Amino acid sequence: MCGSSGSIINRRKLLLIGAGALGVAALPVSALSAEKLSVVATTSMIADAARQVGGDLVEVRGLMGPGVDPHSYRPTRTDILAMTKADVVLWHGLYLEAQMEEFMHNLGRRKPVIPVAESLPRDVLLGHDDYEDKFDPHVWMVPTLWEGVVRAVHEVLIERHPDGKAVFDSNLDVHLEELKALEAYARDALETIPQSRRVLVTAHDAFKYFGEAYGVEVLGIQGISTQSEAGLNRITELVDILVERQISAVFVESSVSDRNMRALIEGAAAKGHRVKIGGQLFSDAMGQADSYEGTYVGMIDHNVTTITRALGGSAPERGMNGRLAAGS
Amino acid sequence: MFDIFLQALLLRGGYNAALVAIGAGLLGAAAGSGGTFLFLRKRALVSDAVAHATLPGIGVAFMIMVAMGGDGRNLVGLLAGSAVTAALGLLCVQWMTRHTRLAEDAAIGAVLSVFFGVGVVLLTVIQTMTRGNQAGLEGFLLGSTAGMLFSDAVVIVVGGALIVLSIIWLRRPMTMVAFDAEFAAASGINVNRMDLAMMGLVTAVTIIGLKLVGLILIVAMLIIPPVTARFWTDRTDRVIWAGGLLGGMAGYFGAALSTVAPNLPTGPIIVLVSFGLFAVSLLLAPGRGVLASLWRRRQFQLRVHRRQGLLALARTERIFDPLTLSVLLREKLIRQDQVATPKGARMARAALEDERRWTRAREVYQDEAVISRYDGLTPIGEVLTPDEIAHLDQLTGTAAKERNSNGA
Amino acid sequence: MDALVEHAAEKRERVTEKAALAVRGLTVSYAEKPAVFSVDATFLTGRMTAIVGPNGAGKSTLLKASLGIVPRVSGEVSAFGEPLGKAMAKIAYVPQRASVDWDFPTRVVDVVLMGLYRELGLLSLVRKEHRQFASECLERVGMVDFAERQIGQLSGGQQQRVFLARALAQKAELYLLDEPFAGVDAATERAIIHVLKDLRAEGRTVVCVHHDLATVADYFDDVLLVNIRKMAEGPIPETFTAENLQMTYGGRLAATHIDQLKLPTG
Repeated sequence: MCGSSGSIINRRKLLLIGAGALGVAALPVSALSAEKLSVVATTSMIADAARQVGGDLVEVRGLMGPGVDPHSYRPTRTDILAMTKADVVLWHGLYLEAQMEEFMHNLGRRKPVIPVAESLPRDVLLGHDDYEDKFDPHVWMVPTLWEGVVRAVHEVLIERHPDGKAVFDSNLDVHLEELKALEAYARDALETIPQSRRVLVTAHDAFKYFGEAYGVEVLGIQGISTQSEAGLNRITELVDILVERQISAVFVESSVSDRNMRALIEGAAAKGHRVKIGGQLFSDAMGQADSYEGTYVGMIDHNVTTITRALGGSAPERGMNGRLAAGS
Repeated sequence: MFDIFLQALLLRGGYNAALVAIGAGLLGAAAGSGGTFLFLRKRALVSDAVAHATLPGIGVAFMIMVAMGGDGRNLVGLLAGSAVTAALGLLCVQWMTRHTRLAEDAAIGAVLSVFFGVGVVLLTVIQTMTRGNQAGLEGFLLGSTAGMLFSDAVVIVVGGALIVLSIIWLRRPMTMVAFDAEFAAASGINVNRMDLAMMGLVTAVTIIGLKLVGLILIVAMLIIPPVTARFWTDRTDRVIWAGGLLGGMAGYFGAALSTVAPNLPTGPIIVLVSFGLFAVSLLLAPGRGVLASLWRRRQFQLRVHRRQGLLALARTERIFDPLTLSVLLREKLIRQDQVATPKGARMARAALEDERRWTRAREVYQDEAVISRYDGLTPIGEVLTPDEIAHLDQLTGTAAKERNSNGA
Repeated sequence: MDALVEHAAEKRERVTEKAALAVRGLTVSYAEKPAVFSVDATFLTGRMTAIVGPNGAGKSTLLKASLGIVPRVSGEVSAFGEPLGKAMAKIAYVPQRASVDWDFPTRVVDVVLMGLYRELGLLSLVRKEHRQFASECLERVGMVDFAERQIGQLSGGQQQRVFLARALAQKAELYLLDEPFAGVDAATERAIIHVLKDLRAEGRTVVCVHHDLATVADYFDDVLLVNIRKMAEGPIPETFTAENLQMTYGGRLAATHIDQLKLPTG
C-alpha cells in the first residue's frame, strides 16, 4: 500500500504494517506452544501415563528407554538439562531411581518435581526386604495399583495446566477404561495356569505385587534392587527348588543381565532337570519405543500373555487384542 | 553352616558352587603366579592401571557390536575390546615413563583415572541407547561370580593354562630382568620385550578374570599372593609357584565360603580369604614373620645379656643392667647379692677364656673366613678345630693358664 | 700440534694389534646433554685396562653404551674383529652393585646360574654338571660356603664376589667390570684382583671402570682417561702422567694428591 505523500511517511507505515502482520502471524504459534506443557518423566511407564492423560496438550520426554535399569540409572548431562528446563518433572520415587534420589530432592526445591508413586496409600504397599523403612517400588505390575499413579499424574497435569482440565479428564477416563480391561484380561488369563505350576522365577524380585494380586508364587535371584549381587547360596537354593518342584520354565528380563538365569538353568541341568526360558519379561522398562510393547498396556499385556503361555495356561498368542508382536 | 562349607569344599554343594570354586581356584592360581613378576619387578600398581583401562574397551566393543546389528553381549567381543584398551593403557604408561619427566606412579594414576573416566562416560551413554542389551555391562566392575557359566569356566581353564605355560616358558629371562636388568640386557635378553611379556601376562589374567571378579578386585588377586609367598621362601621359583598355590587356595576356599549364607558376594570374599592368608603369614611365617622376628630378637638380646653378664662376673665387675641381672638370676648363675653360683662361676670362666682366645685368634689368623665369624657370641669351638685351639693356647702362654686356674 | 700428531701415530699403532673391544665415535646423551662425546677407544686383547675419570665423566655410560645397554646417539662398536652384536656371547658384564635390589628372593648359587643363561636357554634343565661348574666359580671367588645364602644376607664385598662369580660362569673372553672395587673390604679387593690377574694369565681381556687412582698403576696395564671426551689412552707408564691427570680432572685434583701418586712426568 503506497501512500501518495512523502517516502519517509510511507516507509514508516510499511514498517508498522509489517510489524503488525508479523505479530498477528506469530500469535497462533506462540499461543499453541504456550499451551503445551513440557514434561520430563524418568521411567517409560510414567512417560506413557503422562502421554495418555496429557494427549496433545503435553510434550513428554522420557529419560529411561527400553532395557534401561532404573535401579542403577545415572542421569547424563543432557538429562539434567532437560529436567531443569522442563515445566514439570515426574519421577517414580519409592527409592526406585536410587541413583537419582538426591538430585530429585534438590531440584524439587526449585521447580515442580513430583514422585508420583509416593502418592499411593501405604497400606497397599509391600515392604522392602533390604531396607526397613522403604517399600517395594514395583507397583506398575498390577493395573489396579498403577491406576493410583495415573491419577496422581492427572492431578499434577491439572495443577500445572488448569486450562486443559477438560481434556485431561476425558483422557483419564479413556485410559482408566483400558486399565480395567487390562486387569480383567490379566486375571482371566492367569487363572488358567494350573495350580502346580503357579511359580514365577525371574532375575530379580520385581513381581511381588504381581504375585500377591494374582496368586502366583514369585522367586527372584536378586532382591528387590538389582544393585545387590546374587549370592552363590541363593543360586544353589533356587536350583534345589527348581529341581524339587519340577519347575520347567523361568523368565529373563529386558533390563537385567540374563547371566544369573543361565547359571540357574545350567545348575538344574547338572541335576538332570531341564528348564527352559519361558520368555523375556518387561520388568523395569517397557519395550521398544514405537511398538505396542512400548506402551504400558502393551507391556503388561506382553508379560501376562508370556507368563500364562509358558506356565501351561491358555492365552491368545497375540495377547489381549491381537496386537502383540509375533513370536514374543 | 560349617557342613555347608565342607560340602562346598568337597565340590558336593551343587553344580554352581562347584563350577565357581574350580573357576575361581584356577583364576587365582594364574593370577597368583603371573602377579609374582609384577611384584618382583616392583611394578604392582601398573596392573591397576591396566585393569581400569579395560572399561572403555568394553564400552566401545559393545557399541561396535550393536552398530553391526548384534545385541552387544557377545563375551568374546567384549573381552577383545577390553584387551585392546588395556594394552593401550599399558603402552601409555610405558611411553609416559620413558619420554616425559613423569615418575611411574604419576603415569599410572593418570592412565588409570583417564581411561576409567572415559569408560564410565561410555557406560552412561550406553545406558541410554535404545538398541542392544546393555544390562549387565556394569557387572564388569565388581564381577558376578555367582552367575558363572560353563562357558566362563572354559575361558578360564584355557586362558589360565596358556598363562601358566607362558610363565614356565619365560620364567628365566623374566626373573633375570626383574633382578638385574642391565646384566640381563648384556646376556642377550631383550629387556623391553620381557617387560611387555610380564605385563602381557597380567593383562591376560585381567581379561579372563573380568567377568568373574571384576576389574576393581583383579588387582588384589595379582598382588596379594606373591607378597604372601615371599614370607615363606627365599627362592624365586618357589615364590612363583607358592604365589600360584596361595592364589588358587584363596579362590577355591573363598568361593566355598560364599555358599554358606545368603547374600555373600563371592568376589570380595575371595579377596578377604587372600588377605587372611597374608595376615597369617605375616605373623606366623618362621623366617620372615613378625612373631618369629620378635622371638629371634628377644633370644638374641638374652644371649647378649647372658654373655655380658658372665664376662662381668668373670672380671668381678658389678652388674647394673636389670635385664642382665634377671637373665643371670633366672638361669641360676648368680645369687641375689651378685655372688656367682658354682654353675655361674664355671660358665663365667669359660666365657672369659673364649673371649681371650678370640682376641688371640684375630691377631694370629689374618684369614677373613675366621675373622668374619666373630660376633661376640659364637664360641670359638664352632670355628676352629681343637688342635688349632690348642695351638692358640700355646701361643697365649702359661700366663693365661695361670690366670684361669686362679679364677676358681 | 705435535701432541696431536703423536696421538694419531699412537692410534695407528694400537689399531694394528688385535683389539678385544674397539669403540669409534661413541656419543651418548641423556636429554640432549652429552654424557659421552665422540669417544674412540681400543681395548687390547689379553691386557687389563682401567677406565678412569672424575665423577659424572661418563665412565659407566661408556661401558653400558658400548654393550648396547643404554642407547647411543652415534658410534660403532666392534669386538674381536666382528660387529658387537655377533660377539656378545664372548663378553661378560659386571654391573655396579648398587643397581640391584638385594632383597630379591634368590640365593647366591641361583645368581651364578644366571650367568649360564646363554648356555641353558629358556627351558633346559639345570643339571649336576651346571651346579658343579657354578660351585667352581664360587670357589674361585671364595664364596662356595655361601652358596645357599640369600643374597641380602651378604656383606658388600661378598655381593661383589658373587657378581664376579656370575661373570666367570659366562666363560667369556672379555670382562667388563663397573667399579668392582668400590666399597669392598681389603680381603675382597685382594680376592678380586687375584681372579682378574688369573683371567689375564689365561689370555682373556679385562676392562674396569676404576675409582681409586692410587691402585691404577699396581693393578692395570693400560689406562683410558675419560671426561666426556677421551683425554688419553695407552699403556700406564706413558699415559698415566700428572699432566694427563690434570687435563682429565680439570684441576679438580689437588696438586698434593697427584704428588702422592708418584707418577712419571710426561
